[in-house]
Amino acid sequence: MLGVAARRVAGAARPALRTARCFSTAEAPAVMKLNFCLPHETIYKDKDVDQVIIPGSAGEYGVTAGHSPIVAELKPGVVQVVHEAGQEPENFFVSAGFALTHPTSVTDITAIEAVRVEEIDEGAVKSSYDAAKREMDAATEGSREAAEAQVAVETTKAMAAAIGVVLAS
Amino acid sequence: MHAHACRTLRQARPLGSSLSVRGMATEKQIMMRINATKNISKITQSMKMVSAAKLRGDQARLDKAQPFNAWTAELNEPPMVTEDGIDTSGWPQKNLIVAISSDRGLCGGVNSFVTRAIKKMMISTKEQGKETTLFVVGEKGRSQLSRVHADEMTAACTDATTPMQFGMATAMATEALKNDFDTMHIVFNVFKSAIAYDTSIKSLPNLAKEGGEEQMVEYEFEPDTKEEVMQDMYEYLVASQMWHSLMESATSEQSSRMNAMENASKNAGEMIDSLTLIYNRARQSRITTELIEIISGASALEEAK
Repeated sequence: MLGVAARRVAGAARPALRTARCFSTAEAPAVMKLNFCLPHETIYKDKDVDQVIIPGSAGEYGVTAGHSPIVAELKPGVVQVVHEAGQEPENFFVSAGFALTHPTSVTDITAIEAVRVEEIDEGAVKSSYDAAKREMDAATEGSREAAEAQVAVETTKAMAAAIGVVLAS
Repeated sequence: MHAHACRTLRQARPLGSSLSVRGMATEKQIMMRINATKNISKITQSMKMVSAAKLRGDQARLDKAQPFNAWTAELNEPPMVTEDGIDTSGWPQKNLIVAISSDRGLCGGVNSFVTRAIKKMMISTKEQGKETTLFVVGEKGRSQLSRVHADEMTAACTDATTPMQFGMATAMATEALKNDFDTMHIVFNVFKSAIAYDTSIKSLPNLAKEGGEEQMVEYEFEPDTKEEVMQDMYEYLVASQMWHSLMESATSEQSSRMNAMENASKNAGEMIDSLTLIYNRARQSRITTELIEIISGASALEEAK
């Protein structure tokens, strides 16, 4: 339980987390391997990285070498890939997917769609947020359309947050 | 229109058969056959070219689908080749077989190998008293399997636009998951090279059912409602496996069609050669006959003088 709580504030407590979640007995490899794939594109395959921060549906968490095995469902959010310690992370926005960290310090992230955060168009996010919002208001509550519109609203919200844009509510 | 054509055909036949009584078709008939074969070879040659171009695209898509599906290796056994028959004794009580076939024909044996393997599995599971249902992708698989296993077929997905999109694989996975089963088996063709493919089977035990939580004990789950995450993950896994199988099969289909069309073009070429030989022989014998007629005519005139 504590572990979950710690992960929820992963952003703030990252250094502490790294030591806490390492295997105490097994010798941890110095680097972790990352596979980051989409159905139509392979972003990284067997790439050595220092750390990855993953937007799990129950909160963001960081993965480093020797992390305990974990399976997480992703929510729309930003995957941050830190190639070398101390460097600025490379940011990808993902819509949905799964992340699996295996006991061998290999992390598989598979997402339906991912884009570099720099490539997100601010205007398009705003307009699709407005459209999704309108659809959600128009749809009858509990219907399939309402659920779809809600997903769209949440995704565009997360996109806006990723690029630091304030949306008119 | 069609009936009229049939009538003319019927009328034409006695004429042709009376000629063939003499043991040789007329030059004109042979020429017609040569031209028809030439036209066919033009079609097969261009189909080969089209397949070669499509194969490149499919191979590129497959190269992306393989790493995307790599994460499933942790949960599922690698695909098994069905060539020597599949032992179904280890299968659970309820099975769903997903057949991946093509919508179009003229592509060698890709679809027949898939349906043949499935028919064998259907027989052996029936003998073992197990329940097996079918979910078919592709028109060719549907028509081949519906002859014998129409009752077991739950759904068929045909005439999908190509190239496939991931959304389509997701839709198919959703449809397939509506069935009640303990294990899903996907039968498809694994692309080996431009001239070879392996008809294989992938078994995906249902993680959403009871006992699924016993899997992956060493993993922590996020959120920690393991059962729910397992269910979501199984749906995602099926979509991912389906996507991979579809891409493998599409690539195998194109490579197989390319080879089939190359063979057809080669055969057409041989046929044209042998027909040309027959044509020349007939032409020569006609000329000889004509010469004999002229000469004997001339000599008859000479004698009359």
